[in-house]
Amino acid sequence: MAEAPVAKRISRRTFLGWWIASLMTATVVTAVLPILVFLWPAPPKGQRKGPLTVTLDTPIDQLLDGDAVKFNAPTSPNSAFVMADGGGDNAAGDLAFGGFVVKNQGKVNVFAINCSHLGCSIALNKSAKSFDCPCHGSRFHLDGTVLHGPAAAPLSHLTWTQGSDASTIQVDGIVLGF
Amino acid sequence: MAIPHPRDIQVAVVDWLDERYPFKKAVDEALYQRVPNFANAFYYCFGGMVFILVVFQLLTGILLSLYYIPDASGSPAPAYTSVLFIQNDVYLGWLIRGVHFWGANILIVMVVIHMARVYWTGSYRAPRELNWMVGVIMLLCIIFLSLTGYLLPWDTKAYFATEVTIKIGGSAPLLGGVITQVLQGGPVVGPPTLQRFFTIHVFVLPALITLLMYVHFRFIRAHGISEPM
Repeated sequence: MAEAPVAKRISRRTFLGWWIASLMTATVVTAVLPILVFLWPAPPKGQRKGPLTVTLDTPIDQLLDGDAVKFNAPTSPNSAFVMADGGGDNAAGDLAFGGFVVKNQGKVNVFAINCSHLGCSIALNKSAKSFDCPCHGSRFHLDGTVLHGPAAAPLSHLTWTQGSDASTIQVDGIVLGF
Repeated sequence: MAIPHPRDIQVAVVDWLDERYPFKKAVDEALYQRVPNFANAFYYCFGGMVFILVVFQLLTGILLSLYYIPDASGSPAPAYTSVLFIQNDVYLGWLIRGVHFWGANILIVMVVIHMARVYWTGSYRAPRELNWMVGVIMLLCIIFLSLTGYLLPWDTKAYFATEVTIKIGGSAPLLGGVITQVLQGGPVVGPPTLQRFFTIHVFVLPALITLLMYVHFRFIRAHGISEPM
């Protein structure tokens, strides 16, 4: 009785070929992987994430409705704020080196200073009660929403808490370590 | 569908390339050179080992230069702290720096052994004198690479070892003072010295030795492997 032909899907030769090929690939990976690990940036000494204490020029309780106070990220040690959300050029986790505390209809908001169009520093336009971007003319309402393009996304918020007194706030950020 | 043998894939890729430029011819000419039987001895491999070690040094050197800061000003100087950073903080930095350090040490040993073999088999004789001379220049390159590289960590050992070597150079008759000034870049071993040694170590000598290795190998191909005495 004749044996039924067995479908030979992979020959011994092909199997050994792939075996050798995978060994060679593994060898190359073993050599290259440590280099890739080495290239991955190590955090500088002193880099840490956490709230940064910021002293405001105008205490929050003295801030008039429709007014805003600008603040910068601490420079010693060199630090930056971390955006809580974002759109356009900004994204959650992006760094900002300044921000605004703004009081609008009784509500206090803290925004990153970066325009959502291409990241320029916005400025308060007191008379028009808006934030204006000097680069391409984007404008924002005091609640962060877009008043005028080219920006399409609202301003990014910074996560913050009230500090020990009305003139200090704690803002989420990162000490860069360099 | 049958699974192809990996060689079929390899052949397809090579053929695709070869249709666009005659790579096969160039690679065949470089690879398939007949080696005489007397050269099939392990001591004919030392030169190749030196070449591999130099390649390792170039590769790890490029990697180290991503983190090293050639600045000796202040205390502690960035040169020193950046080496500490490589050693302690950079991921696998100790490994890459270790390979560079031990590679440099083994390189000196292998160069000496390679040279001893060339001397032993009399491979420096006519018409190969020029290749011996190129080899001697590369030996000097290696020695100066070691000398200049030794200063770069900018620790106490590096500093005073360089003091010693510069004093040796300065003991040369007549030109001693000039050599000291030019090497140090000033009246003492200081930041300008590190800047000079860094430039020599990273830009000048690696380029020179790469060029000379190419010349060395072209000479070998032109002459063929020398017969032993």
